[in-house]
This record gives sequence, C-alpha cells and structure tokens, in this order.
Amino acid sequence: MTRLPGLKRILRIERDGAGVERAVDDELQFHFDMTMRELMSSGLPPEEARAEATRRFGDIQRTRERLTTIDRSRLGRERRSEWWNAFAQDLRYAIRGLRLKPSFAIAVILTLGLGIGANATMFGIVDRLLFRPPAFLTAPDRAARLYFARTFRGKENVQSYTGYRRYLDLKEMTTSFEAMTPFYSNDVAVGSGEATKEMKVGISSADLWKMFAIRPVIGRFFTASEDVPPDGSRVVVLSYAIWQTQFGGRKDALGSLIDIGPAKYTIIGVAPEGFSAFSPDPLVAFIPVSAASSTMGSAKNPWYSTYHMTWFETFARRKPGVTAAAASADLSHAYQRSYDKEVEANPGSTAAKIAKPRAFAGPVLRDRGPKEGNDAKVATWLVGVAAIVLLIACANVANLLLARALRRRREIAVRIALGVSRGRLLMQLATESLLLAFLGGLAGLAITQWGGTIMRKALLDQTDAGPSAFTDPRVLGFAALLAVAAGLLTGLVPAFQTAREDVSSALKAGAREGHVHRSRFRTSLLIGQAALSVVLLVGAGLFIRSLVNVQNVRMGYDAERLLWVQPRMRGTKTDSIQSMQMLNGMRERAQAIPGVEDAARALTVPFWTTWQLSLYVAGIDSMSKLGDFTLQAASPEFFSTMGTRVLRGRAFTAADGEHAPRVMVIGQSMATKIWPSEDALGKCIRISADTMPCTTVIGIAEDVRRGSLAETEMHYYVPITQFQPQAGGLFVRTSGEAASRTDQVRRELQKLMPGVSYVTVTPMSTIIAPEIRSWKIGAIMFAVFGALALVLAAVGLYSVIAYNVTQRTHEMGVRVALGAQARDVVRLVVREGLRVVIPGVVLGAIIALLAGRWVAPLLFQVSPKDPPVLVSVVLTLIAVAIAASWVPATRAARVDPNEALRAD
Amino acid sequence: MAAVDLDLLQGTLDLLILKTLNWGPRHGYAVASWIRETTDQRLQIEEGALYTALHRMEKRGWLESEWGLSENNRRAKYYQLTSAGRKQLRAKTAVWTDYAAAVFKVLQTA
Repeated sequence: MTRLPGLKRILRIERDGAGVERAVDDELQFHFDMTMRELMSSGLPPEEARAEATRRFGDIQRTRERLTTIDRSRLGRERRSEWWNAFAQDLRYAIRGLRLKPSFAIAVILTLGLGIGANATMFGIVDRLLFRPPAFLTAPDRAARLYFARTFRGKENVQSYTGYRRYLDLKEMTTSFEAMTPFYSNDVAVGSGEATKEMKVGISSADLWKMFAIRPVIGRFFTASEDVPPDGSRVVVLSYAIWQTQFGGRKDALGSLIDIGPAKYTIIGVAPEGFSAFSPDPLVAFIPVSAASSTMGSAKNPWYSTYHMTWFETFARRKPGVTAAAASADLSHAYQRSYDKEVEANPGSTAAKIAKPRAFAGPVLRDRGPKEGNDAKVATWLVGVAAIVLLIACANVANLLLARALRRRREIAVRIALGVSRGRLLMQLATESLLLAFLGGLAGLAITQWGGTIMRKALLDQTDAGPSAFTDPRVLGFAALLAVAAGLLTGLVPAFQTAREDVSSALKAGAREGHVHRSRFRTSLLIGQAALSVVLLVGAGLFIRSLVNVQNVRMGYDAERLLWVQPRMRGTKTDSIQSMQMLNGMRERAQAIPGVEDAARALTVPFWTTWQLSLYVAGIDSMSKLGDFTLQAASPEFFSTMGTRVLRGRAFTAADGEHAPRVMVIGQSMATKIWPSEDALGKCIRISADTMPCTTVIGIAEDVRRGSLAETEMHYYVPITQFQPQAGGLFVRTSGEAASRTDQVRRELQKLMPGVSYVTVTPMSTIIAPEIRSWKIGAIMFAVFGALALVLAAVGLYSVIAYNVTQRTHEMGVRVALGAQARDVVRLVVREGLRVVIPGVVLGAIIALLAGRWVAPLLFQVSPKDPPVLVSVVLTLIAVAIAASWVPATRAARVDPNEALRAD
Repeated sequence: MAAVDLDLLQGTLDLLILKTLNWGPRHGYAVASWIRETTDQRLQIEEGALYTALHRMEKRGWLESEWGLSENNRRAKYYQLTSAGRKQLRAKTAVWTDYAAAVFKVLQTA
C-alpha cells in the first residue's frame, strides 16, 4: 500500500465533525465510482449501471448517517484516551521528578498542607457556627429562631429566650407558622446509682418532630397529647448513641424506665443517629417540655401560666409561601397582643407604649442572628487569618517552583528545541503543580483532622471527635477547591516563565546568567510574605495582650480557688427548712475536708444565675432608671470564702439572723450610684416593696464582675438567713488551685445526700472559661498562624538569598580577589535580605494599623495601635531577616576566588 | 442455487470481513468484490451493511484504517486487521467451524 505524503494532515481534518462527514462521503464516492466502472466495463449502459450500483448498496442516506455516528463516537473515544495517555505520562514524569528531589517535594507538600489544613479547619468550624443548618432540618430556609425585642431605658434589648405562657400565646395568635416548638438543652443527671452522669437532654414540644425529616429508628416520638401542662407524660425518646451504648441497641429497651433528673421516664422511641435537634452539641435524650418543667414555678405562679419565667428558645417553620417579613409582622403583632395580656395580668409592668414590644423570625443558627457570640466573630477573623497563611504558603511554593524552573531552564529549552509543543509543556508543568497540590491537600486533610479535634474542643467546647475531615463532604469539597486553586496559583508562575523561555539563549548561557530580571517577581513575593507575617504577628500580639489583661482583671473574687457545690434533689421532696439544714450540714462537712479553707452558702453563681428584686430608696423615684441591681444571698463566711474585700463597714455575722434587724452589704459602684455625694453606710433600702421594713446598709464591698468580664455590676448582698431562698448551694475555697479538688469535695459531700439525690461540683474557673475562650482562641490561633507565617517567610527569604548567592559565586569571587573582606561580603548579602524585608515590614505595619479598627471590638483593654506590640513585631521580623540571610552570607564570604573564577 | 439471506446468520458478515482482510489491507470496494467473487455470488451482501460493519469493527478496535492510493491512483480508505482483529478472526473461525460441523453431523444422520 502506498501512503500519501500528506497523511497526517488528512487525518487531522477528519478529527472535527465536518471532517468525519467528508471522509465518509469520500469513501462511499470511491466505492460508487469503482462499482460503476466495473459494471460499465462489463457492457452496461450508465443508467442501468447506476441503478445496479444503488441496488447493491441499499439505503445510502441511512448508511451514511450510521457511518458518521460510528466514526464520531470512535474519534471522541480516541481523543479521550489520547488525553488520558498524555496525562498519565505527565503524571508519571511528575512523580519521577518529585522522587528525584524528595526534599523539594516534602517542603512543598508540607507548606501547602499547612496552608490548606489551617483553612479547612477554620472552614469546618465557621461552617458549623454560621452556615450548616442542623442535621435533618426540613426546609432550612423556612425555619427560624424567634427573637423578641423590648425597649428599656431608650435602648432596644433583643432576647431569644422566652417562657411557656408566651409560647402558647404566640402559637395561638399567629397564622404564618406550620410548626412552633420551645427548645432548650439542659445538663441533667441521667441513669441511676454509680452510672449516674450529667448529660445533655433536649426539651421541646411535639412540634419538634414536625420540623425535622426523621423517623424513629424504633418505637415512636412523643405526641402533643403527651405534652400537656401541668405535668405532661414522662416519656423519652433516646438518642441513637445512648441506645447503643447503654441499651446495647436492643429493641426491648422500649417500655423500660430511665432516670432523668428527678423522675423516671418511659422509653418510647429512639431518634436516628446524629440527630441533636437545634443543639450544636450531641444530646442523649428528648423529653416533653411539660414533663421537664413540672417542678418549676410556684403554686401561685405555675410555669405554664406566668409571663415571668423565661427558660427556652422558640423555633418555628413558616408555612410555604409566607415570606420572612410577613411572618415577622404576624409574629410581632401576636407578641404585642401577648404583651398586652401580660400587662393586664401584672399591672406593674412597663406599658407597651414604652416597652415597644417587637418580635421577628431570625436565622436558626444563633451566630447568624442578633445574639451572635464572640466566638463566631473571632472564628470569622481566623478564617481571614488562615487565608493569609495560605497565601504565604502559596507564595513560598511558587518561589520554590520558580527556583526549580530556573534550574531546569536548560532541560526545558532542550525539550522545546526537540519539538515538544509549548502547550504540552505547560500541561506537564500544570500536572506537576496539581499533583503537588493534591498531595498537599491530603496532608491538609490530615492536619484538619488533627487540628479540628483540638479546635472543636477549644472553640466550640465540644469533646466529641466530630465528623472526620476525610468523610465530611463539605470540608472535603472545600479542601479540594483550595488545593486546585493553590495548584493553579503556584503552577501558573513557573508555567508562564517557561512559556516565555527563549530557547537559544537558554541553551547558550551558563547557569549563572539570566537570573537578574526574574528575581524581581520573587522579591515582590517576599515583600508580600513579610507584610502578611507582620499583620498576623501584630494580631497575635494584640490577642495575647488581651488574654493577659483578661486573666489579670480583678474579678472581685478569687475564681481560681473556688468550687461551686450544688445539691440536686431526686425522689425526695424537701421543704425550705430541711434544705437549709442540709446545706448547713454540707457547709460544715466541706470545711472539714483537708485542703478546704472555708465554705459559704450562696444563692447565685457569677455568669450562671442572676437574681433581681425591686428596690426602693427614699427620695429616688425609680430605682430601675439607675440600672440593674443584682442580689446575692450569703452566709456570714461568704466574703472570706470568695475573697471579696469589704472596703468599709462590716460583713455579715452569725448575729444577723432571721429575727435580727435586716442588713445588707452593697457594692461600691452601687453605693456611689445611689448616693453620689453621701455615705451609704447606715442608709435604708427597702427590698421587694416600699412597704417593707428598712434594710440597713452595714458594709461596702469591692465591685465584682459576674455578667461580663468587661464591666463590673451593681451588686448587693443580704444574709441568707434573712432571705431564705429555696435554691442555692455552696462556695468552697481551697488552699491551692481549686479544680484539682473537685472530685475529692464531691465524694465527701455526696455522702450527705439522701437517697438517689446527688451533688455537682464545678470549679469557678470552668464557669468563667467560656467568657475567656474567645480571647484564648484568638491568642492561640493568631500566635500559631503568625508563627507559621514567620517560619514560611523566613524559609522563603532564606531560599531566595541562598539561590542568589550561588548565582553570584562568580561575582563574589571577583570581589574577594579584588580585596573584599569576609565582613564586607556578609554585609552585602545581609543588606540584600533587609532590602526585601524592610518594605514588607512597613507595608505590613500600615495594613495592621488600618485593619485595627475592625479588630478593636474583639480586644480586651488593648488599643489596636498598641506601640509595644508593633515595635516588637517589627524588630522580630528584622531579626529573622538577618538570621535568614546570615547563613548564605557566611557561605558567600567563604568563596575561594580561585575556584569561583575558574568554574563555568 | 438460490442466494442465501445473510441476516439469518448473525456475525457471519464480521467473520467474512475479518477473513478477507487477513490477506492484507483492502479498501471497502475490494472487500465487497472479493467476498462476492469468492462465494461465486451466492451470498447476497448489502454493501451498506458491509460498510457499517467495517466502521463498527474499526470502532471496536479490530480494524484500523488509513487513506492510501488505489490501483487506479485514487484516494481510498484502506482497512487492515489489528492484533485484536486477528484474535477475533481466530476465535470466530473456531466457533463457526464447530457450529457448522455440528449442524452438518445432524443433517447427515437424517
């Protein structure tokens, strides 16, 4: 067979659609011509020959179409397999290249891994806080958390917590919602005997089950008829996890009893795995709100009919077609009517005109709504920080790849000269960087898996391992996206570099030449890295100073040395006298425990509970206009136990008993607020009603922080014997750090508990921990990311300087030969390093100053322009720059002029 | 002898084409004429079906094609067997021989 010289060209034509058709036509045309020739040579006239040829062939048009279809699909497949072959070849080539330079590969993969891991970790957390709706939630776009606003002293106060009576009103008076349920979770003792443990239980009405697309694994969910005030039915739906661990996943768990809090509940069903309703934390069980609340309230003001108790949040789902605005308007209207009913029931309440009640359906996720936590804000900032770390990492990788590309100039030039197309070469370089990015992404996921567990614990206060980063589709997708972006970003630079390559000059030149203009791009990468490092380190410094300030702030009590002890009664009804006797007994017992210095009874716990009563002072119209005054009822040992200093006057004594004259100790800021120009000691305050007898101020105590770390509260103390509360517990002061004594104290006091009742002991530091957490996280994460950025920048600087020094060996040799001292050479190189770093530092400082405005609200008593922080960061960077250039500089100084000049 | 309707014998066309191409590369017209002449025109093959079979087998990778010059100096598409095609030819031939032998045996006993 003879081959056409233009064979390739023809084949290439065939590769597109029109080419395929033309080839089929050509082939068939040839066939017809041949047939006609044959037939005519055997004597047939042209007309008959044509007819015979057509008959022999059959349906020409259909055949033509069929052949075209077959050929098209064949070509498509060939093209795909060709592409895959090329890709596989590139991949093999890339892997071989990386295996030849393992240190380069490891450096790049680790750098990218750290960058991607930092981002995926932060994404996982922010996603949970701000984006991911609760698992199984039906129609998340229509689900809402309800918010209520009232104006108080000219300021609108938004709250998501409400009570049952309000919930009933809203449910009855609105038409926009198809489901509405109270929901809250509570730490409750679950189980009995030794196995009793405090666990989180979800509490709701039956509408909860309507809001999630779930079916019970076994049994059923509770119904509206089982959730009726005053007592409800004691039925419980277990979580899948506790059903597996405590009931072995057995079906006969249904119908058995389980102790939850003070009562026994019948198990009626099991919720699907991973279901935790609206709670971000896992829950062990779900019970009706009416069963959980049956012990709350008083005979006069039962929990279901008072407006004065608020203990849960309300969740609802709009009917399809109802807009969020319409639903909020409907809800607001209902809330106003409900508020009118409240005023009617309690004539003393603020009039609706002044309170301006308003309600709205907000986002389901708390941190998306008006009551977002500091944690979410800090986490959002950290996302930005993580992005910066990734940028720095990418800059480093780009730098490494670029240096490698420069080293490979000759190899690449040879390949171009040998006829490899530039497009093919670019593909190959892109394959290499995508392979690196892929491996970096895997490393990043491993870091996410490990870092995520630590972060969840620190930032979300969750101890469970959480979903694996390798199986969570959202985190996986995000990491993949980052890896591809990083691969493209870092791959583009050297790829374009290569595309520009001038073959002949690269082939002719030695390794020494041609680097000068290229290092300008690398220099600007370094300046950017230095600037970003400065920004992160300034952030780290500010957060660390905030954390130090938070930890040094005078709380008004010695949090580190205090334990809060709370008895939990179960199965036995105790009256107030019995419970007081029991607490007194516990107090005495606690004092006898070795390592315990003192113990006192108290009603409320800072950051956990507040108690407010109406106060009346002669000559002041409205005390509530002066602000909120919070109450503590305490036994005589209270002040010495807490470490709260009584500044003037005296603390309580045993003599301030039930029948003694009523006395109180008030905080300093409360004293100056009420009597700005007079001595508060000896003054009279009437508590609860202005008809009550005088309570005399006998002492003035230092201010305490108990609602917010940022400000002190107006707080007062009354003797617990004169107040006689139903609730309360003990504060225990230990001689050393309190947290380590928790178990010891609990074991001792548990002995005094009757029946199945139990006692919980919580270190005060644990109670305060969530308040400090956002600063702690900010400090730790900024410091970690900042250090990471600094190391990356230092490595980047080192590699560039070292590279430049090797490129300039010849020049250094000349300098030394001409009489330059080692010192001069070192100075020359170090100056080069500083020339790169100083503009970066200046740039970074400017950015940090500009960004300070936004970070200021997250800091604690630190200015975002804090001079010590700025100065120390700048000095650190310069020191690092000198250190990073020092090694290559001394190497340059040791250049032997003979060798340097002879080489090349 | 009457012409045989080839539709009855599935896969026969493929086998005939493979066998034809076993002698070397040919264009479609040559394949058609060769089959016609070798079978003394006893097999009626619609040429449209023949071309469809050629293209289909090319897609399957049994054949490959190249444009070349014909005997009378015209551009023609030449087909030749690939190693996969050769393997197919061996397999199909074995099956056909067995089949034919079996049928023949039955017919002889009657």
